[in-house]
Amino acid sequence: MINTQAVPAPETPSGRRLPGDLAIWFFILAEMLAFAVFFAAYAFARAKNVEMFNTYQHTLDRNLGALNTFLLITGSWFVVLAVQAAHKDNRPAIARNLLLGWLCGGGFLVVKVIEYAAKFGAGISMSTNTFYMFYISLTFFHFMHVILGMVILTILWVQARKGVYGSHDAHGLESGAAYWHMVDLLWIVLFPLVYVMR
Amino acid sequence: MELLKNPAHRAWIILMIATVVTWYLGEVGAAGTTSIIAMLLIAFVKGRLVILDFMELREAPRMWRILLEGWLILVSSLILLAYWISLT
Amino acid sequence: MQFKSQAVAKPYFIAAIGLFVGQILFGLILGLQYVLGDFLFPAIPFNVARMVHTNLLIVWLLFGFMGGAYYMIPEESETELFSPKLALAMFWIFLVAGALTIVGYLAVPYATLAELTGNNILETMGREFLEQPLPTKLGIVVVALAFLFNITLTVLKGKKTSISIVLLLGLWGLAVFFLFSFYNPVNVVLDKFFWWWTVHLWVEGVWELILGSFLAFVLIKTTGVDREVIEKWLYVIVTLTLITGIIGTGHHYFWIGTPEYWQWWGSIFSALEPIPFFAMTVFAFNMVNRRRREHPNKAAVLWALGTGVMAFLGAGVWGFLHTLAPVNYYTHGTQITAAHGHMAFYGAYAMVNLMMISYAMPILRGRAANSNKSQVLEMWSFWLMTVAIVFITLFLTAAGILQVWLQRVSDAPLPFMVAQDKIALFYWMREWAGVAFLIGLIVYIASFFVGGDEKEAA
Repeated sequence: MINTQAVPAPETPSGRRLPGDLAIWFFILAEMLAFAVFFAAYAFARAKNVEMFNTYQHTLDRNLGALNTFLLITGSWFVVLAVQAAHKDNRPAIARNLLLGWLCGGGFLVVKVIEYAAKFGAGISMSTNTFYMFYISLTFFHFMHVILGMVILTILWVQARKGVYGSHDAHGLESGAAYWHMVDLLWIVLFPLVYVMR
Repeated sequence: MELLKNPAHRAWIILMIATVVTWYLGEVGAAGTTSIIAMLLIAFVKGRLVILDFMELREAPRMWRILLEGWLILVSSLILLAYWISLT
Repeated sequence: MQFKSQAVAKPYFIAAIGLFVGQILFGLILGLQYVLGDFLFPAIPFNVARMVHTNLLIVWLLFGFMGGAYYMIPEESETELFSPKLALAMFWIFLVAGALTIVGYLAVPYATLAELTGNNILETMGREFLEQPLPTKLGIVVVALAFLFNITLTVLKGKKTSISIVLLLGLWGLAVFFLFSFYNPVNVVLDKFFWWWTVHLWVEGVWELILGSFLAFVLIKTTGVDREVIEKWLYVIVTLTLITGIIGTGHHYFWIGTPEYWQWWGSIFSALEPIPFFAMTVFAFNMVNRRRREHPNKAAVLWALGTGVMAFLGAGVWGFLHTLAPVNYYTHGTQITAAHGHMAFYGAYAMVNLMMISYAMPILRGRAANSNKSQVLEMWSFWLMTVAIVFITLFLTAAGILQVWLQRVSDAPLPFMVAQDKIALFYWMREWAGVAFLIGLIVYIASFFVGGDEKEAA
């Protein structure tokens, strides 16, 4: 992410503080709005084709979906630990936890590719039917966000190794972490919606 | 139990358990109004933990908490509405 | 002005305004032809008038963008322009090529023009907005490359600010996406598919970056708000624009023979396109409210606020009205589209150019701002043109709704021309609003020639 934190985050009088950069939060909100519209579109499109959606939802691999939920939540948890380590000035722990978080993201991508390979191998595409259109669109759009999140984590890791972050400045780290948690948050809604709810 | 003082650890454990519950509901083929509401509630609790303990918005200016939690409520309500329409 | 080489912007601005007048005159001819079909026939047929109206628009906006960039970049980079001579040479080449093209459109039938200019070598003509003959298209590429070379080297040798990086991104994008105008596959689906890569990705993609950076520049200068704050907003606007605009291209892929999922992708992403425009409006008002000084050029600030609001209304709201596939199924290619087009182009791109000209021209003429008298006149022109475009948009929207109803929704749909006759009243009202717009433009030009007490020299 681009560094926009020339000014430290303003402390509000009540002592309440927004972690990270204001700009990243606007960005997160916009992304979440896009997903909200997509989720609602899925739900309402399903209302018109309940049987079709229920039939094809059965073909999805719930085990891999749940495994991916574990990976993202754990990845998010490691990144929280990295931020906490920064506030305690535990420098080696920042980079280590970021790396572990990144590996969880990598695991997510591998699982997702295995899942895609099975589906695409069976000749399924976005034009097969509306359910698969949504399944592929939503998960792929989210997939791209995982990749972007991992790019951000990579930058944070490099910076952390240089010793940029600590209790004096965790601004950039918090901004990147917030984005990574958003990727997690979106999957927490996406997984039950597309894989389980019927 | 020293570990549980860290809200992030607590959140992680609850998130893991909640995920297993959702997965289990899928395995037993739960369907219909009750299971939909249950799954949406679980998703809401999970999302809220991510927002408050992972994104660390618990101590953030109130507007940001409202915006993100509001997003969760909005999305869950829209999904619930659409599923309710499909049942009638 | 701070740097001598900024002066090359002046001829660009003058040419832009001149071509703007031409665009409006042809707009009035065109508007009249909607109700008096044989007006000026056979000298200027409808298709030619339309082509000249839209091509002049694009060319004057490009002149404005180039002029604005030549003015802004030296100041942002804190160094003289790499080559003012090259900039001037390109000005004349672009102007002559543009003029010859328009003469070509008016003097010979389009098919003859195509034959004369070697369209058979590489067939690129005959597509809306990209009607230019091959030599003109090549000329545009040459001018754009020389311009980008000049601007990029200036930035590289000077200070690199976020505002100039965003501008460069926008301008390079503009050049790259224009290359798709040379790609004209025989398959009409593919043809349309890539045609939008130029047309849509210009106006709903990279041009918005140019708009954002111009707006940010003028706001920094006129409000004195910290650069850090303005840049932060600029980043948010840029990312929002790119997320929504790029996949939003899908709202053109509903009915052209592309796969059905585009109806979902196009609807969902383009429904979010108003957000960056809304952010721009909030940005402009926020910065002006937080201003740390009173800049003497009130007119420029008015244009800055105006472009935020009008871009949001025209591009955002009027775009959203017909961007969802189920709505667009009925409104596609009706006067609703024309209503959106008029307000969006004026609000986003005409106004941002007028803002830049309004800010830069007095300085180029050796004063911080024009006299009070001149500014009052300019503000009058702002309101005349803006209110006129609002009415043009409202009348066209009314015409469009009626057209959709009579021609497409009704149980006994009428043929196209019969429906057109029924909405003629709205076309007449639109034409009168167009006359008001021309008066506004004349007042605008007059404001350049009004003297009075000048504000302190820059």
